Amino acid sequence: MQDIAIQIKDLKKSYKELHALKGVNINIPKGEFFGLLGPNGAGKTTTINILTGLVFKNSGNCFVFGKDTVDDYRYTRSKIGIAAQELSVDWFFSIEKLLFFQAGYYGINRTDAKNRIEQLLKKLGLDKKKNSRLRQLSGGMKRRFQIAKALVHDPEILILDEPTAGVDVELRHELWDYLKELHSNGKTILLTTHYIEEAELLCDNVSIIDEGKILKEGSPKKLTEDLGKSGVTVQLAQGIDELKIPTLEKNYSIENSRMHFSVKNPELAIPQIIQELTSENITIHSIKTETSSLEDVFLELTGKSLNE
Amino acid sequence: MINWVGLYTLTSREVGRFFSVYRQTVIPGLISSVLYILIFGFTLEQRISEIQGVSYTMFILPGLIMMNTLTNASSNTSSSMLQMKLLQQLPDLLTAPLSGLEISLAYIIGGTIRGMVNGILVLLVGIVLIDLPVNNPAGTLLFIFLVSWAFSSMGLVMGQIAESWDQLAMIQNFFLTPLSFLGGVFYSIKMLPDWAQNLSYFNPIYYMINGIRFMILEKSDSPVSISLWMAILLTLLFTSLAIIMMQSGKRIKQ
Repeated sequence: MQDIAIQIKDLKKSYKELHALKGVNINIPKGEFFGLLGPNGAGKTTTINILTGLVFKNSGNCFVFGKDTVDDYRYTRSKIGIAAQELSVDWFFSIEKLLFFQAGYYGINRTDAKNRIEQLLKKLGLDKKKNSRLRQLSGGMKRRFQIAKALVHDPEILILDEPTAGVDVELRHELWDYLKELHSNGKTILLTTHYIEEAELLCDNVSIIDEGKILKEGSPKKLTEDLGKSGVTVQLAQGIDELKIPTLEKNYSIENSRMHFSVKNPELAIPQIIQELTSENITIHSIKTETSSLEDVFLELTGKSLNE
Repeated sequence: MINWVGLYTLTSREVGRFFSVYRQTVIPGLISSVLYILIFGFTLEQRISEIQGVSYTMFILPGLIMMNTLTNASSNTSSSMLQMKLLQQLPDLLTAPLSGLEISLAYIIGGTIRGMVNGILVLLVGIVLIDLPVNNPAGTLLFIFLVSWAFSSMGLVMGQIAESWDQLAMIQNFFLTPLSFLGGVFYSIKMLPDWAQNLSYFNPIYYMINGIRFMILEKSDSPVSISLWMAILLTLLFTSLAIIMMQSGKRIKQ
């Protein structure tokens, strides 16, 4: 088995004049929780739609466990479960029946699928609604059904396209807990999102995508350290006009009794700041840190907000 | 290698879909056929004594079977495919390990079963209500099967091409229904002027109607062998077209 679960090489896609993807490269090791972070229209959904066979590419390649997603589509698709952003509608069948159909498309017969479907319905709190039609479910339940559908054939890779878009805070946290559990059980997860908190909380690594290009990749922590600007604000007991602290490498500003330090890593900088100020006999009243987020990184890279 | 479980699952979904709404998909054809027999047959039969040596009601019944068969077969696949496109259900199939061939066959078999169920029910209505003699039962079923398959495949082509219900209705109302009516359901083309007779020979549905009319009544405006070959030709043509379109994915993917 390959160690790389998903490999995307120089993927390009145009819709007439619009260049949706301009050479996207992504590597996702097996077992990783990976986030594709970008604003609406950045190319996230196009990337995963090409990966899963819903959209034609212009050039480039996608591999799943080393197999090409076009040439070996049966193998690659059987390894992936996808929870699409757009909720599907069905007027004819109960949600339990729809899950049986979904399992059948992946070659799993009714008998083999039965236990798995029962477990999923229970785990996702849908067991009491198993005879309901999709239209009878709330928005949150529909979202959970999407995830159940993606997991019905027990795929090694789970792709979630904006899984918490439009869901309330409580359900969002429930889904996050469930995704963490799936990840800890060994699933490779590819998540597209424009929620910073989601990417920071869940993902081992992220790629930041905008206008069809990957701008930066790495762990959320490393990206914010490298590109984000964190702040440490020290409130002093009394005001000072000027102070020179040559050992502190970053700039700082003083305004009466307030000092503001701009640092890459506040956790490392704070002890040093305390030590330097104490050695100058300055009394500290309070210290506040302003942690940089991926939003700041995105802002730094593109000059615009993720929600634009 | 064929994904047999996938093929069976999608077929059973397609069949289950139309049976779950049998009041829309099975009963209406049956009611309209009974109405045709009662209104057209019994009223016009007083004025039109016989056509080709059989009563008018008996004469129109094979045509009604064919009309019911082909409209149901084609509308099953066309509406199901369009519905899947519009309701975001198609990605479930396109991201699964199913080939274009398997998806096409499942749809076509589903439409064929609906066409056959509807055709056979009208045939039974004819047997019960007007004591319709079925001279060649196997040949009758063969024609119902071939026409169901051919028009189910045609419906799948239509469903892939159409992007709205309006477009689909346009194809059905402007082409399929007129061709059915002009194919000789209610008349023998021998009753038409020469130019209209010549025009009828270009209507494929004319051959379908005359084929089944021969199998049931042993009466036909054209040789049954031509009807049979035409049915086989249409079946092969539309099946190939539907499968090629599905495999290329041009109308269902971006």
